[in-house]
Amino acid sequence: MEQEVIIRFDGVTKQYDGLVVLDWVSFEIERGKFYTLLGPSGCGKTTILRLIAGFTEPTEGTIYFHGQPVNHVPANKRQVNTVFQDYALFPHLNVFENVAFGLRVKKMKEAEIRDKVAEALQFVNLQGYETRNIQEMSGGQRQRVAIARAIVNEPEVLLLDEPLSALDLKLRTEMQYELRELQRRLGITFIFVTHDQEEALAMSDQIFVLNKGKIEQSGTPKDIYDEPVNRFVADFIGESNILAGRMVKDYLVEFAGKQFTCVDYGFQENEQVDIVIRPEDLEITAPDRGKLRVRVDSQLFRGVHYEICCYDENGNEWLVHSTKKAEVGEEIGLYFEAEAIHVMHVKDGDDEK
Amino acid sequence: MRRMKWGNVYLIFVFIILYTPIFYLLFYSFNSGGTMHHFQGFTLEWYKEVFHDTRLLIIVLNTLIVALLSALISTVLGVIGALAIYYVKSRQVKNTLLTFNNVLIVSPDVIIGASFLILFTIAGIKLGFVSVLLSHIAFSVPIVVLMVLPKLQEMSPTWIDAARDLGANEWHILTRIVLPFITPGIFAGFFMALTYSLDDFAVTFFVTGNGFSTLSVEIYSRARQGISLSINALSALLFLLTIVLVAGYYWISQKGSRLYGMWKK
Repeated sequence: MEQEVIIRFDGVTKQYDGLVVLDWVSFEIERGKFYTLLGPSGCGKTTILRLIAGFTEPTEGTIYFHGQPVNHVPANKRQVNTVFQDYALFPHLNVFENVAFGLRVKKMKEAEIRDKVAEALQFVNLQGYETRNIQEMSGGQRQRVAIARAIVNEPEVLLLDEPLSALDLKLRTEMQYELRELQRRLGITFIFVTHDQEEALAMSDQIFVLNKGKIEQSGTPKDIYDEPVNRFVADFIGESNILAGRMVKDYLVEFAGKQFTCVDYGFQENEQVDIVIRPEDLEITAPDRGKLRVRVDSQLFRGVHYEICCYDENGNEWLVHSTKKAEVGEEIGLYFEAEAIHVMHVKDGDDEK
Repeated sequence: MRRMKWGNVYLIFVFIILYTPIFYLLFYSFNSGGTMHHFQGFTLEWYKEVFHDTRLLIIVLNTLIVALLSALISTVLGVIGALAIYYVKSRQVKNTLLTFNNVLIVSPDVIIGASFLILFTIAGIKLGFVSVLLSHIAFSVPIVVLMVLPKLQEMSPTWIDAARDLGANEWHILTRIVLPFITPGIFAGFFMALTYSLDDFAVTFFVTGNGFSTLSVEIYSRARQGISLSINALSALLFLLTIVLVAGYYWISQKGSRLYGMWKK
């Protein structure tokens, strides 16, 4: 099946009072996929959303919808709907009227409005709540009303601006499943903004990792987690051990004072690199059987695993996730597979692949 | 605990001072003796007199018409003004406009009245109903602005984004989001304007002409001619009306959210 590009950003730059929020960003959004814009606060992810929605115009560059430039098309003329962070439900209207709002301004017939609203409310499991006031709804229910209000307009793209951040952990996890499920059932494109990397990994087809107004990396959750392109991405996506090292030659890297075989190649000889080993890829063994010899500094019980913090003889910190317990002060060995080592260029570079 | 007590005593004292003259007036409006120092017996004679005084009733009617009209017009103007101030982007312009608005509220009525008198004379507007109405509108508009503006500022900016996102144009946003939300403020402004207009003496005194008078001006001129307890009766009725209006204002600001229903289809 050929994927159809709905939205294309071409060299989009956005400045607010001379401050660059988005810096020459280009990407494509395809039909029917779940995208996540992931990054720390102030990285420009919400700005991208506002640009797509049409609340603001790019300073430079062009945004295309189905190949047509839409820089100056106002928000109310775009086939895009948004679920806001604070839901932005209208307090003077009840649930039915909130959902019906978009249809009413389009002057749809009353009977049709009733059918569509009922259908949308059913989609988010809120049948029977039509006459409730917004004030009587819980946070999770308001969230659903906001989603229903957006999808009732049958947008091609649904934008979600950190919609789960106001919910408690349990509800948030539930909503992650529901949103993913909803996206599959509707078959439309979702663009989800979050600063929570677990949320992004769990839900997305494609993740854009943003930092300081630039896209650092885009790819599937697995790509991003296993093959981060640089230190920022590796650090932002989950906990990791990041060390400076040297690529001796193909398949051989040196760090922590030793040389290790790895699966990475295509670097210059003796290039300075950053290496990443995820804490769950480190295995605790006897001191003489490990590839590294470390001393346990502290240990936290995290429920699913122990989080063990160790130092090697060179003073590098090693974070280990293990179901086995270690003794603080004990000397242990750390074993890892060659595949567990991930080598990255030190400078921001996308040319690794 | 002790401090609370003294605070209460002080509060009661202040209220007694404020309300004693009014209740004194009310009390003697029922006096059959015809004076305000010796209560002889209960009578409704003075009220009867008020209701038989055609001239007075016409003035009451005038007062009500001026109050309602000026409140209505100033509410419309005030809401437009508040919206304009709300939509102004520059902080400085916003503050300047607000200051101009507030100066009108705090400046003494005598000065406003005198300046209107000069203005109307220069402009050649005949003193009477029109001049009174115009001046009442003028001093009511800032009050309405001040009542409506906080309600506008309470609005979440994302509501407007959300409405636009759902396809609403500026007109939809105004009529379906902004106005319904600020309705309690609009009503509060209307009632405030109404009471201000009903009460006003100083400004009206300046700009009223021959053959047209409002209640407060009439009471003043009658009180100067000599004491008749029908004035007390009239004052009592006026006081009652004011109480009702204030109660109405509070009811609206308390139960404000119920008014949203009015805008539903």
